[in-house]
Amino acid sequence: MIKNGSLNYRKPLSWGEYDPHRRGNTRIGMWAWLWQRISALAVIVLLGLHVTLTYRPLIQFLLLLAVTFHATLGLRVILLDFNIVGVKYHRALVGGLVGLGLVVMGLVWFSIY
Amino acid sequence: MAQTSGGVRNIKVFRYDPQQGGEGHFDSYVLNIQDETTTTILDVLLRIQREQDPTLSFRFACRVNMCGSCGMVINGKEGLACKTNVSHIPQGKEVTIRPLNHFPVIKDLVVDMEPFFKKYEEALPFYEPREETTEPAVIRPGSRERQDIGMATDCIACGCCVSSCTMCHYHEGYAGPAALNRAFTLLADSRDGLFEERLDRVLASCYNCRTEFNCTEVCPKRISGTRAIKYIQRLALKHIKAKPETIEAEQPAVAQPSCASEMAGSMAGNMAGNMDRRTFISQVGVGLLGTCLALGVGGVVGAAFVGPTRARTPRLWVPAASLSSIPVGDVTTIKINYETKNGLYTQQVAERVLVSRTGDEIICFKASCTHLGCMVKWDGNAGRFRCACHGGAFDRNGKVIAGPPPKPLDRYPFRVDSDHLLVEVG
Ligand code: SF4
Ligand code: FES
Repeated sequence: MIKNGSLNYRKPLSWGEYDPHRRGNTRIGMWAWLWQRISALAVIVLLGLHVTLTYRPLIQFLLLLAVTFHATLGLRVILLDFNIVGVKYHRALVGGLVGLGLVVMGLVWFSIY
Repeated sequence: MAQTSGGVRNIKVFRYDPQQGGEGHFDSYVLNIQDETTTTILDVLLRIQREQDPTLSFRFACRVNMCGSCGMVINGKEGLACKTNVSHIPQGKEVTIRPLNHFPVIKDLVVDMEPFFKKYEEALPFYEPREETTEPAVIRPGSRERQDIGMATDCIACGCCVSSCTMCHYHEGYAGPAALNRAFTLLADSRDGLFEERLDRVLASCYNCRTEFNCTEVCPKRISGTRAIKYIQRLALKHIKAKPETIEAEQPAVAQPSCASEMAGSMAGNMAGNMDRRTFISQVGVGLLGTCLALGVGGVVGAAFVGPTRARTPRLWVPAASLSSIPVGDVTTIKINYETKNGLYTQQVAERVLVSRTGDEIICFKASCTHLGCMVKWDGNAGRFRCACHGGAFDRNGKVIAGPPPKPLDRYPFRVDSDHLLVEVG
């Protein structure tokens, strides 16, 4: 609670607090950001696992997946930052890049195994 | 549409009473709405206030999307109450209305916009002509800058974008999309005289943007805060190339301390000027955590890659069998199991040893063919070792007698220790 003269202000609400429908309204840009962070953590953990437990196809697959997500979503930010792709296509960019990344990843995976 | 668009709606409104304090709560109201396509959330609030609860507080003025005072969060999305129709919320679903994020709540849906306008002011939101002139400036509608600025000047300062942006919560000094958009419209304007000063003030804030596009999604005027922020970043890139001496000019301003402890003191003083202790400590904490993680991962990767090349794996004596269990005059196949360490991982190895014992002579062969490594087996009838893969054959002493193998069978060094046969691996 914040005191302001005679009035007691409530401290600011934050994103999602008392906000029952927020999750359904979370748009793709926000997910793209969130998933890049999550994939970054996944890369750290899986890289460690990959090095300690070598040649486990499951770990390799998950690592490749995490790297794909992290790289494509990073590419998204670079493309937007330098205005190589206009911000009005930002929604299509997420799907397009991640899709492309997954296709490339699939090709790499099946050419190895 | 009118026949399907009416009905009873549950409306949940966030209530906070400054007299009572506390966290606040939702109050539920039931409203019969004739035509949802022509009923705005503002109409709903007005009806609740008139018909059911006169203590309900909210802000509005123009009712036609012009003043920006009725920004609030409607079903998890920021918007203007006077612009959002009840029909925008799926049929039959409850309507929840709550105040904007990131602003202190005064009462119910009314927030204190003071922080918003403070940040707005810090970005120098006014126009200052480059040169004094009494003539109206001529800006061609087709000119590049006019096109770039576009409708970004339409901001009505409703605060929706600031409320939607999670970075406004995590970075206290962040100016937020609205202020940065305002700065952008002036930075892009070639007539404006405050370019440098404004850029100095807003640039740091631009790097708090994480490209979430939340502000762009909610702006009732369809302004993209993200676009404005990226524009300023690119502007700064061009500008820094053109004018590097501004950074150096600041250095003599720092006092030259005479000893190290003073230096530490003045550094801490400088830090304190810009941020409070808690943010400083938390930033240092995050930095340290990041460094530790990087070192940890780097160490693991380094040890795994460099380790095996550096250290020769030590020789290992593995017990194979007791000597008395090995028949004389025959070749016996014995399985051995052992572990090797390679870098960070240990590997279980299972191998076969072919022990040939004649009289008091013992030879321990490796059961892998010297051609391509297939498994070699003893053929007692023919008195030779055979490899099934390419027809290689070796005699009792391991010498090649047929097929492609280039050299005799490999042997294990071995020793006998009180009736135990041990072979050396690794
Ligand atoms: S940029 Fe849009 S959302 Fe932000 S304050 Fe202005 S009108 Fe409101
Ligand atoms: S009342 Fe003015 S914008 Fe909604």
